[in-house]
Amino acid sequence: MPLVKIPKPKFLVKLRRFFMADLLQGLRLTLKYNIGAITDKDAVAGKGIYTEQYPKVRPDVAPRFHGAPRLNMDPETHDTLCIACNLCAIACPEDCIDVLAMDVEIIVAGKPRKKKVLDEFIFDTSRCMFCALCQEACPTSCLELTQDFELATYSRAGFVWNREMLEQGRETVKYTR
Amino acid sequence: MLLFAPIDFINQLLLKFFSAGTINYVIWPFIQVGLVVTIVAGWVAYATYLERKISAFMQARLGPMRVGPWGLLQPIADGIKLLTKEDFIPEKADRWIFFFAPYIAVAAAFITFAVIPFGPDWAVITDINIGLLFVLAVSSVGVLALILAGWSSNSKYSLLGALRSSAQMISYEVAMGLSLVGALMFARTLSLSGVVSAQQDDSVWFFVYQPLGFLIFLVSGIAENNRAPFDLPEAESELVAGFHTEYSGFRWSLFFMAEYAAMVIVSAVAVTVYLGGWYFPFVYRYTEANGYHNLYVIVSLIVFVSKLLAILYLYFWLRWTLPRFRYDQLMDIGWKWLIPSALINIVISALAIFVVQALNGWHGIKSIDALSPGLNLTPIGKAVMIVMGLAGLGLTGLLLARINWRSRDFNLKSQRRNIRLVNVPRGKPAVAPVAGEG
Repeated sequence: MPLVKIPKPKFLVKLRRFFMADLLQGLRLTLKYNIGAITDKDAVAGKGIYTEQYPKVRPDVAPRFHGAPRLNMDPETHDTLCIACNLCAIACPEDCIDVLAMDVEIIVAGKPRKKKVLDEFIFDTSRCMFCALCQEACPTSCLELTQDFELATYSRAGFVWNREMLEQGRETVKYTR
Repeated sequence: MLLFAPIDFINQLLLKFFSAGTINYVIWPFIQVGLVVTIVAGWVAYATYLERKISAFMQARLGPMRVGPWGLLQPIADGIKLLTKEDFIPEKADRWIFFFAPYIAVAAAFITFAVIPFGPDWAVITDINIGLLFVLAVSSVGVLALILAGWSSNSKYSLLGALRSSAQMISYEVAMGLSLVGALMFARTLSLSGVVSAQQDDSVWFFVYQPLGFLIFLVSGIAENNRAPFDLPEAESELVAGFHTEYSGFRWSLFFMAEYAAMVIVSAVAVTVYLGGWYFPFVYRYTEANGYHNLYVIVSLIVFVSKLLAILYLYFWLRWTLPRFRYDQLMDIGWKWLIPSALINIVISALAIFVVQALNGWHGIKSIDALSPGLNLTPIGKAVMIVMGLAGLGLTGLLLARINWRSRDFNLKSQRRNIRLVNVPRGKPAVAPVAGEG
């Protein structure tokens, strides 16, 4: 009694085995890939070579990709667009945003008034899951998740971004070779 | 020819200091040997690059790209790394044998290049009349190196790898040697240059007459070199790295060198015996016949190298297509398929030659032109040979498939169950232990 039942091969299967059709099929497939890679033509779908040469050639990320956060500024005056409304901090499911506001005395129509302006903005990227709910919540489209994906740092503290980093962007070493 | 003026100039210069005999038999051979060794060593370095590139392309990757343009300096970086690595010898190893085994492997692989005809005239180092025997004999010395390496390492993986590879190489050596006999019947000589000139006289490549022999030679050649899909000795998942598990640095690279050089030798023999060597149609007519002797040699060299590269590409191609065989499947192919078909091939070739000779002169049919160096056939004779060769291929395949049909469904477990005695309960040994033992 054999432990493993092997079905009796049909005539067509026998014929395929005799002419080693599977071997030839495999050889054809690898040759197709090889020629496709040399001519950079599509072997099955897409392009010939799938490898990205990352530091040398930077990949194009998808339009819906969410990466490093940024605080946008008014392009003319270079003042921050943030009105310190705290909506982003409320929207954040991970609670990783801290908006610290301060009051400034200003004169409106001859009377002294207090205005709430942004003092410091803390964004903890180590806890962020890049859901972009903060971006949706922002009424002035100030906070935005950009397409920049190089977020690694050498220390845990480096993941906490302050207002300056959010506005200017973080300095990273760009490898080109 | 301006291009070859330096060669004549050097010859003239040498003639002032040495006799013609010394130059022809000592100095020029030295130059040839130096060139061949240098080129083969360079090939070994760049074969690794080629293999990595081709494997990468077959898997839609890029391969080495970072060292130099397109990673072209990668072999040099690898070489420097290997040379500066610690050359480690295990404490319990048999030091001297461990020390010498890689050198035996490299020597066995490189000596064989002495008889390979890379081209006509000055492109062959030496043409001895037992060339093919020499190649087979010397290349089997490589097995000794593997066994010594495996044994002296004093490691179970090395020893198992060495045992496997020696068993494999010895069993495939038989099929390899037998498959050449058929082609030698047409060439009527063992000298490799003679085999090529026989094909040149016949203006046909022997794989046309010997499709079966060519296939057997290719398969057993790949197995002989321990290349995938027959790379059982180096099965990473089972044996770490086989016989060179304990080797590192320079000595490891010597084994690597021997492997790639052996690949070149087997492909060179395949090209010489079955694919016409340096012979290509029309080359002679447009070069040598017009008086351009050196051009003839160079073009023939290029022809030989391109045929060689085609066979070597086949090696890489098969390696990255097929998975590794199981050990019993390997022995199955060797002993149940290749050796019987090699024997059948000899019979069929002899029969074909007999038929052609019998046809010659029957009802005014002329099938043989001349018997001088090789077997020169007329078109009728060639047609008979080709038909017989193809028929032999098909018949052998059918016959062996009929005989070996059961071995495809080979299942050790079911066999063990069949061997078990019928009425013995499970868990008891099938054969009752002898009383009073233990």
